[in-house]
Amino acid sequence: MTDQTTDLTLQDQKSKEAYFTASQRQLIWARFKKQRAAMIAAMVLVVLIVSGIFAPFLSPYDPTIAGRDKDYTNGAPQIPQFCDKNGCTIRPFIHAVERERSMATNFRWVTKINEDKRIHLTFLPKGDSYKLFGFIPGSRHLFGAEEGKIHLFGTDEDGQDIFSRTLHAIWTSLKVGSIGVFIAFVLALIIGGVAGYYGGWIDGVIQMVTDAVRTVPAIPLFMAVAAFMPPEMTAEARFFYISLILGLIGWPTLARRVRTHLLTERNQEYVLAAQLCGASSSHVIRRHLLPSFTSYIIVDLVISFPYMVLSETALSFIGLGLKDPVSSLGVMLQKATSADVMLNYQWYFIPVIFFIALVMAFVFVGDGLRDAADPYSDTNK
Amino acid sequence: MLSFARFVLVRAVMAMITLVIVSLVVFSLMELVPGDCAERYLAFKNTQGSGISVADIEAERQRLGLDKPFLQRWGTWIVNAFQGEFGDSCILRVNIAQLLGSKFWLSLGVCLASLALAYLIAIPVGIISAASNNAFLNNSLRLVSYLGLAMPNFLLALLIMLVSTIWFGETLTGLFSKEFRDAPWGWPKFVDLIKHAWLPIFILGWSATAFALQTVRALMSDEIGKLYVTAAAARGVHGRRLLWRYPAKHALGPIINSLGFDLNRIFNELPIVALILTLTEAGALLIEALARSNDQQLAGAIIFLLTASIVTLNFVTDVALAIIDPRVRKSIMR
Repeated sequence: MTDQTTDLTLQDQKSKEAYFTASQRQLIWARFKKQRAAMIAAMVLVVLIVSGIFAPFLSPYDPTIAGRDKDYTNGAPQIPQFCDKNGCTIRPFIHAVERERSMATNFRWVTKINEDKRIHLTFLPKGDSYKLFGFIPGSRHLFGAEEGKIHLFGTDEDGQDIFSRTLHAIWTSLKVGSIGVFIAFVLALIIGGVAGYYGGWIDGVIQMVTDAVRTVPAIPLFMAVAAFMPPEMTAEARFFYISLILGLIGWPTLARRVRTHLLTERNQEYVLAAQLCGASSSHVIRRHLLPSFTSYIIVDLVISFPYMVLSETALSFIGLGLKDPVSSLGVMLQKATSADVMLNYQWYFIPVIFFIALVMAFVFVGDGLRDAADPYSDTNK
Repeated sequence: MLSFARFVLVRAVMAMITLVIVSLVVFSLMELVPGDCAERYLAFKNTQGSGISVADIEAERQRLGLDKPFLQRWGTWIVNAFQGEFGDSCILRVNIAQLLGSKFWLSLGVCLASLALAYLIAIPVGIISAASNNAFLNNSLRLVSYLGLAMPNFLLALLIMLVSTIWFGETLTGLFSKEFRDAPWGWPKFVDLIKHAWLPIFILGWSATAFALQTVRALMSDEIGKLYVTAAAARGVHGRRLLWRYPAKHALGPIINSLGFDLNRIFNELPIVALILTLTEAGALLIEALARSNDQQLAGAIIFLLTASIVTLNFVTDVALAIIDPRVRKSIMR
């Protein structure tokens, strides 16, 4: 009996000890874990990021014109099935399609599903060659079809596989967002840091300029800057240029936050205490100021990420952003505005679901992190 | 009263300074576009069959004043801009003020209408949701807010178009019916406009509503927990009267303050939504100027006008807040 109670108190003490000696990261993680919505969003996000990173392997075909299926343009999604009217199999299959153009079809290409012919799915077939992470060469894909091609989400007017393009587009968005956020962050750190560190009239002037830049609507400004791109630019150069623009225009909000963090933290009592103990200013910055706000900054970065992704999508959509060989949601949606597509080929819109999921996941995780990083969020509830 | 006038004056001067900084940014951007108006115009003439020499380009440059130094040109531009005069469009060769004229006001009207719609929905719903403990209501509101964030307006516009073409077989585009497009303003044209404009207003207001909902709810739930509300409740004020007379009044200040940024967000979506719904107003003109014809004069003018309306709104809300909120008024009158 007494053993048990001492055990309990010991455990209690241990957990208390763990709480008080926990690093900030551990505390944030503990608080973050408690939020169900944010945890689910985090899992979705991890799945999406992984599928973006391994897009070349997970997608059956090359996303560019090289991987096109010229016999199945504007083709409907093909869903693998196990059963049809001829019975069931263990291996998933799709039905073969035949295209014909004749008097009977009014001389338009019409695809007909041949329900008697099965095309089985294959596991790890050899296909279009790719470079994983940009340098590991490979040609195996997760799945494929034994003859012909399988298009889970259908194909677009050039016969490019929409499923493959979607996965690559997720990767493109992540890349654009990361580079944009990084550039914005560096600028914000410099500009906001100077404003917050010096204070006084320098702060006043910088704040004024930042506020002025913030009042200009961002997307029209994006458009104006993006319009400078010479049309003969290569896809890679365009890509970096767009990321650069996103970063250059996204800094003011972040800079403001860095400044506010610096200003409030600089006057905190623990900084004063450290100074009174004789700590040098480099020690104060390194050991106290930086750790105190890295978590906030990370949260801000996560929160600003979806805006970068959405801006890129918007820019590409109106034709001022990325261009065709690159897969991106905006590029893919460009063709979706025509009435022909809306009436006949609705699968053009499937990637939208993934993007809403991606942005939502980022927003939820960002919000969860913000609540978790706020040391007072527990006491409020 | 004198100190109030001084406050208004200071705010007005600050708004002017902001506009000057913005104009510098916009003007420098216009300058960075490769090639200038003279080259572009004459290149156009060249395609029409008349031979063009370097001397012609120089002459055209001189005529447009493009040979003067950067700062001087910026000076003239900004002075003219404040008088609503933006010169001629590079490509279209029409006076920009004339070209934009009613189109800009139309866009501004649509945007302001969607802003009003956003707050008409957000304020009552936000207050109710902050005051109630209904978990279902709160969670679904949260979901709607996040959807507003994650689904940019142009995607919403696309999806609405998709649904309307599939189910109704017609596309809800444009701002006017054919017969009214060039008709003079009058009551029938206005009715026609309302018939068409509700969709762009709804779409543009969509994410603004989501944002506003979140703001109102957060502000209200902060205020509701405060002691003065408990004190009022203890004195026997309750129900709607309690909510509207105490916490809602406090939450109003920050909301009025954020109106400018909400308008900013709506302007962000304007050009793209305009493109999808094929509206014929300033947003569509901006895309035309940037994506197709590379018309730097026109683009600069539109961006400047959009920003100017945000700055104006900010100024108006600042002054309005000083009139409404006694705390702000006190701090000015000191």
